[in-house]
Amino acid sequence: MAQPPASVPPDPRADAARFRTTLARVMAVQVVTLLLLWLLQRWYSV
Amino acid sequence: MHPLNWLIVVVYLAYVVYDGLRRSRGTQHLEGYFLASRSLPWWAVGLSVMATQLSAVTMIGTTGQGATDGMRFVQFYFGLPLAMVILGVTLVPFMHGAKVFTAYEYLERRFDAKTRSLTAFLFLVSRGMSCGTIIAAPAVVFTAIFGWPLGWSVALMGIPTILYTVIGGVQAVTWADVKQMVLIVVAVFAIFVVLVVRIPVPADDALAIAGAAGRLRVFDLSFNLTDTYTLWSGIIGGTFLMLSYFGTDQSQVQRYLTAKSVDEARSSLLMSAYWKIPLQALILLVGVLVFVFYQFHEPPVLYNPAHERRAREAQPAQYQEIQARYATAVADRQVAARALADARRADAESPNYAAAATSLRQREAAVTAVRGEALALAERVTGEPSRDVNYIIPRFVLDQLPIGLAGLFVAGVMAAAMSSIAAELNSLASTTVIDFYRRWVRPEATDAHFLGVSKLATAVWGLFACIVATYAASLGSLIEVVNRFGSFFYGSILGVFLLAMIPRAGALGAFVGLITGMATVAVVNFGAPSVSFLWHNVIGAVTVVVVGMLMPGPRREATAAR
Repeated sequence: MAQPPASVPPDPRADAARFRTTLARVMAVQVVTLLLLWLLQRWYSV
Repeated sequence: MHPLNWLIVVVYLAYVVYDGLRRSRGTQHLEGYFLASRSLPWWAVGLSVMATQLSAVTMIGTTGQGATDGMRFVQFYFGLPLAMVILGVTLVPFMHGAKVFTAYEYLERRFDAKTRSLTAFLFLVSRGMSCGTIIAAPAVVFTAIFGWPLGWSVALMGIPTILYTVIGGVQAVTWADVKQMVLIVVAVFAIFVVLVVRIPVPADDALAIAGAAGRLRVFDLSFNLTDTYTLWSGIIGGTFLMLSYFGTDQSQVQRYLTAKSVDEARSSLLMSAYWKIPLQALILLVGVLVFVFYQFHEPPVLYNPAHERRAREAQPAQYQEIQARYATAVADRQVAARALADARRADAESPNYAAAATSLRQREAAVTAVRGEALALAERVTGEPSRDVNYIIPRFVLDQLPIGLAGLFVAGVMAAAMSSIAAELNSLASTTVIDFYRRWVRPEATDAHFLGVSKLATAVWGLFACIVATYAASLGSLIEVVNRFGSFFYGSILGVFLLAMIPRAGALGAFVGLITGMATVAVVNFGAPSVSFLWHNVIGAVTVVVVGMLMPGPRREATAAR
């Protein structure tokens, strides 16, 4: 039976922290984009 | 098209081939040819990821969709940022760390050879066909607009792409992608600026006209499994689709396997996470502005010039009568658009403004109805589908853009097609050689031998794609079957990769889960055909994981083997 490779992420805690930071940054950019799109829709809807 | 426009196209094509040949250094080994010796910087890989996903259909079809249907298509990408972040901490470290050439190679290390071969085979079937359709879409448009034989249009994009992909490998593909992505963004921005300048009302009025016609409606909050473009389809179904595409499709996985390190691979994916939705919104907004532009300039009744010519020649009286009514309807709509802009400037809260918006919508419906008659006439005369969304932007560009910019746009469409095809040819060759030839046919051979076979495989897949593209019209139903078949297994393959990250999942569970996942999606597809394909990915992935976990894990498999 083949096993998973040994070279998996070295530190799960550091990985989780990096994930949270990245998620926050990416989501912040997306929230701003979606907010602008929502304002565009709302401002010009008749 | 003006000679200067053609000069821009020729210079672009010549430069792409020259640069590809220049990049052939460093591809004397298999790892250099397929993975650039894992040496590329994150920003180049990131642009390559974006260029691969952005095809010519995005340039001509998505902008056309913006003109006819508005901005709501952007919801399709709402799951992408989350998918990229999830991949960055799950599959990317696994795959990059495993030092594999292909995503499927990893599955044999984790499970067994049959799971690897089945997933690799499914990839070859679906991507082999889709590669042809990627060339076919812009080739058909170029043929209709410039009057060339279809084979010429296919060759114009296909041959340079095959040349630089065969000779330069992934190095050439990635660096060509970088330049092509820049060219695409410049072309889109240039058209955006031209539109803003040439629309004869202020930007605020232009957006008010688009809003009144429903073109700025982005969000649809209804929970409807049959509609692809809703907030929930985009966030839930879109996340699973993007996880499948970026996490398990070799045409994307191979991009980030070329990165210098796991962190650089992650960063390359995050470039898409940051920029995809804003870029897609800009592309749709260009289409919306083309819609506004044609409120003040008479648009063609049929955007496909070949259909327009044939309808006029076959039924001159009927065509002329439709065109006369169309001109009247368009003139009425222009009056309504100007009245709306005036009413907004006077008082946006007044009932006059709401009445002007209603009037514009009625005039727009009248224009659409007359155009519907013209489309029906074209379909009768030509015997071909007359839907012309893909022709709106090319026609606008060639009729309205200043000299030079039209050439830039044509080069941009070619760049979008070529960047997608090149990545696919490269990944089809790597899967053919690594997952089949080296695994089953000739496990022991020199690196030079595998390199030669890889170049041959790239060329063969390239020729196959060109042949599929040339006969795309007659292969229409076959291509549709393959695309539909593709939606059966995309989510299921994602399920297998998810299982690979769960320690107690075993090889039997992965294989049985994969088959069960595909069968379940097929049942849903035929039993409830109205369910949007975005949900197929969710159903497939969840089924594989559930079935895989119910089957014996590695420990019980090992015990049974003893």
